[in-house]
Amino acid sequence: MLPARRRAAVAFGLAAGLVVSFWAALAFGAVTLPVGSVVRVLVGVVSPGGIDPAELDAPMRRVYAILYHIRLPRAVAAMFAGLALAVSGAAVQGLFRNPMASPDILGISAGSSLGAVLAIVSGLVVLHPLAVPGASFLGALAAASFVYTIASRRGGTHLIYVILAGLAVSSLLSGLVSAVLVFSEEYALSQFIFWTMGGLEGRTWANVTAPIPFIIVLSVVLMFHANPLNLLSLGEEQAHSLGVRVEAIKVSVLVISSMLTAMAIAIAGPIAFIGLMVPHLVRMVTGPNHRTLLPFSALAGAIFLLGSDLVARLLFAPHEIKTGIVTAVIGGPYFIFLIIRYQRRGSV
Amino acid sequence: MSDRSSATPVLSASALRYRIGDALLLDGVDVELYPGELVGLIGPNGAGKSTLLRNLIGYLRPTEGTVTLEGRPIQTYSARERAKRISYLSQYGPDQFPFPVIDVVEMGSYPVVGMGRAPGVREREAAMRALSYVGLERLADRSFPSLSGGERQLALFARILVQESPIILLDEPTASLDIGHEATLLQMVRDLCEEGYSAIVALHNLNIAAEYCRRLVLMDGGRVRAAGPPDHVLVGELIETSYHTSVHVGRNDSTGSITVSPVPTGGAARDLRVHVIGGAGGGVNISRFLHRTGCTLSGGVAHELDSDARLWKALAVPYVQVPAFSEIGAPDIERAAALVDAADLTVLCAFPFGTGNAANLDLAERAGRLLILDEESGGCPRDFFGDGEALRARFDRLAARHGVHPYRDACRLIEEMLKRSTTA
Repeated sequence: MLPARRRAAVAFGLAAGLVVSFWAALAFGAVTLPVGSVVRVLVGVVSPGGIDPAELDAPMRRVYAILYHIRLPRAVAAMFAGLALAVSGAAVQGLFRNPMASPDILGISAGSSLGAVLAIVSGLVVLHPLAVPGASFLGALAAASFVYTIASRRGGTHLIYVILAGLAVSSLLSGLVSAVLVFSEEYALSQFIFWTMGGLEGRTWANVTAPIPFIIVLSVVLMFHANPLNLLSLGEEQAHSLGVRVEAIKVSVLVISSMLTAMAIAIAGPIAFIGLMVPHLVRMVTGPNHRTLLPFSALAGAIFLLGSDLVARLLFAPHEIKTGIVTAVIGGPYFIFLIIRYQRRGSV
Repeated sequence: MSDRSSATPVLSASALRYRIGDALLLDGVDVELYPGELVGLIGPNGAGKSTLLRNLIGYLRPTEGTVTLEGRPIQTYSARERAKRISYLSQYGPDQFPFPVIDVVEMGSYPVVGMGRAPGVREREAAMRALSYVGLERLADRSFPSLSGGERQLALFARILVQESPIILLDEPTASLDIGHEATLLQMVRDLCEEGYSAIVALHNLNIAAEYCRRLVLMDGGRVRAAGPPDHVLVGELIETSYHTSVHVGRNDSTGSITVSPVPTGGAARDLRVHVIGGAGGGVNISRFLHRTGCTLSGGVAHELDSDARLWKALAVPYVQVPAFSEIGAPDIERAAALVDAADLTVLCAFPFGTGNAANLDLAERAGRLLILDEESGGCPRDFFGDGEALRARFDRLAARHGVHPYRDACRLIEEMLKRSTTA
């Protein structure tokens, strides 16, 4: 465990970073909004009486419209999707005792996308707001169990098989996603890109409100797995001998992580590499103890996706690129760097 | 140490079978651990020691049989209740993640702390105490993967101390330790047992097992071959058939405990006596081969300072030599003849004959069974000097009778003879 003072400093830094990046996500874009207006609208939105646009003067009404209908849902979506992806990535890395595991590497993301796409194409989407997240979760769980089954032996899972199986399943399912989208006529190209790469443009409250309570509850539940995840780093036998119900913990972490990934993907599409990169960076700063790693990864993941989305919006403004492109451009090289580093150390 | 007859075992396994697919890794194992006991679990690689320990902590479920922990089947305990009674150490640490050593030690508090809570000041202090007990307090903040093999084992052992469960199972805890750390660790285990803990330790080092454990369990092929005090279990024949190697079982003069040391193959292990007539280095290779394959070797007559003679001296086999450049005399031949007569086979190596060693031909002629090596084998030509023609004629008669063999053929012939002698 870190010294308490350092831990508090990191926590404070991350909290401040989250406030700043959230504010930046609201203030910047095609139109830059002054701090005062942003704060006024935010206060109005969360105050008990709400805010009545009709009472605002014309310029403020415009600010309100941009914030409430465009930037706020998008920022909230980025924050919670980033949080969910990073915290589940940290847990999955701990579970597989491998800093290179993550929901996207293991095929969980691809399974999740396939579930979501099938729900939309089949028309299930109109039945319930949670139809897409639900189908997404089932896809994620199916992929995770499949990878887990083919990679596991009696007495444990071998890491290299987990990664290989995950990559194979991941490509297979991504291929299926593309196939489904190509054969469904009503799909525009932008939707196609959304479900293969992930993005945050055009996110509305309808997209985000249903998954958010699940993300909050599941993240908290996952954080209660910190001690057993620490113990699993000793290997399954020793974790067992210390009183960890190894199989139950494995199933529980895998299911919760799949659900979190699915929720994030229902919000933002399969945004790549956050689950891999963010926990790894956090671990370098605060060490591998899951009691700090899980909450700090959650905060850092929210900041990272808010930041990536801001870059995606501003880099070629007034045009924007997909957020998933930004994370992939950062994450791909990072993954290669990781592989080389672990190869040098002779441990994959 | 408690009296075994009056106590009930704290941990026992009866008729334990464990099968994976077609492989029967445990085949009817009975083991008991009594309060205060330190039991050494020994046996060759693949004997089933680790599988047994994993069954005893309830990590593996036996295919048949039961494990009883303090009077109840181990499966009836909740995970944390079980962990408060029995702890386990393998050689595995957190290698992938750079946990500080103190965090690893603190993990021993999990049975008390549980899932939701962070270990507090008390747990941290207990971890620090355990770490200084094993002498690693200065490494508390170092990252675990950066420790040496020995330090890792000690840190993991400190984790066991924090767990404070009365039964301790250790799977080859000393595998990567030097003898100093090995002794320290086992002394700590023994001290714990004197305080009332009970322990089973899987060990490779039989001498350490004999020194520290009052009772040993020898496993082989998934079964218990023998169990009891060291002098009942560390018996030459049992160890040799289990470990498939020749051993010498003795006693340590100072501590009085049993010692087991491997005996290099060679010496009197096989039942074939071979005499080598060498000289000028012509007998070196064949002598080494014979020694390695376990033949009873003798040599002579060679000249002092010949590399043949030097090798025989180093191998401590009976041999006859004469001073350099001197002629082999009757008394030398008489001594060598006794060796030739006792041998099942005599090998005549390739070296030049002259007046000085002409008597070696006498030896070759009296051999019942003679193997003549060809000139290629020795590195020096078989020339004839002095009364050369007469010597050559005598050699040719021998060659006609016994044949001349290249080195490889000779080795093959000797191996065949060895096989016949061992089966007979």
